Amino acid sequence: MNAAEPPQSPVSALEPWPDTVRWQPISTDLIWVELLRLALGLAVLLVGLAVGWALQGHWLFGAGCAVVLLGGGWRAVTIVRGVHAWGYAERDDDLLVRHGLLVRRLSIVPYSRMQFVDVSAGPLERAFDLATVQLHTAAAATDARVPGLRPAEASRLRDRLTALGEDRAEGL
Amino acid sequence: MPGGVAAPQVATVPDRSESPAPAGPATGPDADQPGPTGPGATAADAPPRQRLHPLSPVLQGAKSLFVVIAGLSWSTLSRVGFGWFAVLVAVLALGATVLAVVSWYNTGYHIVGRELRVHEGLLWRRTRAIPLERLQAVEVVRPLLAQLTGLAELRLEVVGGGKTEAPLAYLSVADAARLRQRLLAVAAGTPDQETTGAVPPTPGDPEVDATTPTEREPAGRPLHAVSNTDLLVSQLLTPQAFLLPVGVAFVVAQFLSEGSWSFIAVASTLTAMAGVLLQPVRRVLDDWSFRLARESDRLRIHNGLLETRMQTVPLERVQTVVVTWPLLWRMKGWLRLRLEVAGYSGGETDDRNRPDRLLPVGDLAVGTMIVDEVLPGVRLDALPLTPPPQRARWLRPLSARALGAGLHERVFAVRSGLLTRQLALVPYARIQSVRVVQGPAQRRLRLATVHVDTAGGSGAAAYDRDLAQAWALAAELTARGHAARRAR
Repeated sequence: MNAAEPPQSPVSALEPWPDTVRWQPISTDLIWVELLRLALGLAVLLVGLAVGWALQGHWLFGAGCAVVLLGGGWRAVTIVRGVHAWGYAERDDDLLVRHGLLVRRLSIVPYSRMQFVDVSAGPLERAFDLATVQLHTAAAATDARVPGLRPAEASRLRDRLTALGEDRAEGL
Repeated sequence: MPGGVAAPQVATVPDRSESPAPAGPATGPDADQPGPTGPGATAADAPPRQRLHPLSPVLQGAKSLFVVIAGLSWSTLSRVGFGWFAVLVAVLALGATVLAVVSWYNTGYHIVGRELRVHEGLLWRRTRAIPLERLQAVEVVRPLLAQLTGLAELRLEVVGGGKTEAPLAYLSVADAARLRQRLLAVAAGTPDQETTGAVPPTPGDPEVDATTPTEREPAGRPLHAVSNTDLLVSQLLTPQAFLLPVGVAFVVAQFLSEGSWSFIAVASTLTAMAGVLLQPVRRVLDDWSFRLARESDRLRIHNGLLETRMQTVPLERVQTVVVTWPLLWRMKGWLRLRLEVAGYSGGETDDRNRPDRLLPVGDLAVGTMIVDEVLPGVRLDALPLTPPPQRARWLRPLSARALGAGLHERVFAVRSGLLTRQLALVPYARIQSVRVVQGPAQRRLRLATVHVDTAGGSGAAAYDRDLAQAWALAAELTARGHAARRAR
């Protein structure tokens, strides 16, 4: 990985320290996972509303269907953009994770603060050959989750984090 | 039921001696398993398990008496009459006492290697091994009943535990002091003290051989003692105390207009009133005769009127120091100091059990002195705080003026709050992670918030900094965190 020294004058909002940090994107397959998840939720809602519409025949149910569909469409767009916005970078001493479009978040977690690493993969993620790596520190507020990694990359990241964490582990 | 399960348990408990045998290498988890090898094999090389003080179940039972009465409430009293109420209370309290006796019989503790093991439970037996490297703070608490009987409760705070781990209730005061010394010695990693059963009284610590240690001044160099009148005045200067006359007037007016003075109504009203006043009254009771002392690299805090507490916090465990200036205290120029230790979850509403009081009330000079003691080199009155840019007023028209953040040599300082002003100090070495968060409105204004997460408490947040400055701040915090940790 490249230099650890942060530059003095970062400029852009999306790219802090653009010269020194190489951001890695996550797999775009996560879009499909998230879209499927969304579709499942929408389907349940729509079926409920449709049954209500068929039984009652009130126009409000139809309007509800339309609202749900509109919201779903909007959410699908944000999912696509959100997955593209997600990124992580491994520096010499810390892991950077950024995500979010509306509310943008960047987490900087030193390896030495790592308590444990979680690698998880739900059934949908497994179907698309993806996994999620989450880094935990002693602070509950720490937010360092990297979804949408290939299993090979996930285990590489996990092994690297664990090795670095053991190297530099410190107490509290 | 109790006898059958408890019988094999007793066999492993050797004579309750005061000086345990030298602790060899840990004998493993089979020390408490009444296995076929017989108790003799394990008892030989493990230090004997010690019981809690025999009076503990009595105290537990007495404690449950209050709970029972509170639980039954006034309305039950009015419904069943006084006689039945007394019978009910007696039966429930007696049952609680019997349970307490059984649980006392099955509870034991001992130190194995660098662990404190606590055995408990009757049907679901549980052995908790508490790694002493992770010990954050030790507390000796003496509730009123315990003070009358010369007992004390020992509480340990361990990283990762959501709540106070392993309250050992109750030990005799001398036992508690001795055990605390020993636990702290083991936690600090002095191996020679592990093997000698009881800690020999060292010259720097005259407390070990004292008969009633918590009654005296805390050992070490006294730093500050809060005057009780200041404490009383400070708690009168709270919203609750100010609203009390209004509440009383309202109740009296209501009674006068209705003309009913039944016992139940008055009692209920008084109970409700006590609920409102609970916090200030509790603060007065808890922080009565508050004394702070420094003993090598530990902080000793001694406080309490009905329930005295003696907390010992290693200074290197302090995660955050929070300074608060409540609105009503400003005319007096008073402030309050709080410290955060890892091991207490931030969302814990019951703040009684947190060893977080560093100074219940004091003026700036005292606060500065104590902060300098806890975080050497930090001057409370000369922190390099810079306000956020002017455009932050669009987001916080009123409180933007109160915001401020600054990088001190050793700590990250953050100020916030318009009415109740707060200043959080986080040592760089305690930073767990740094986050930069930017909401949609902040993006319009090119602002961002920098969060610093710590293992205890809520960390610190520098709100609405200029974006470039926020990135620089995050980079600087990370770099300083690395440097500070490496220096240790």
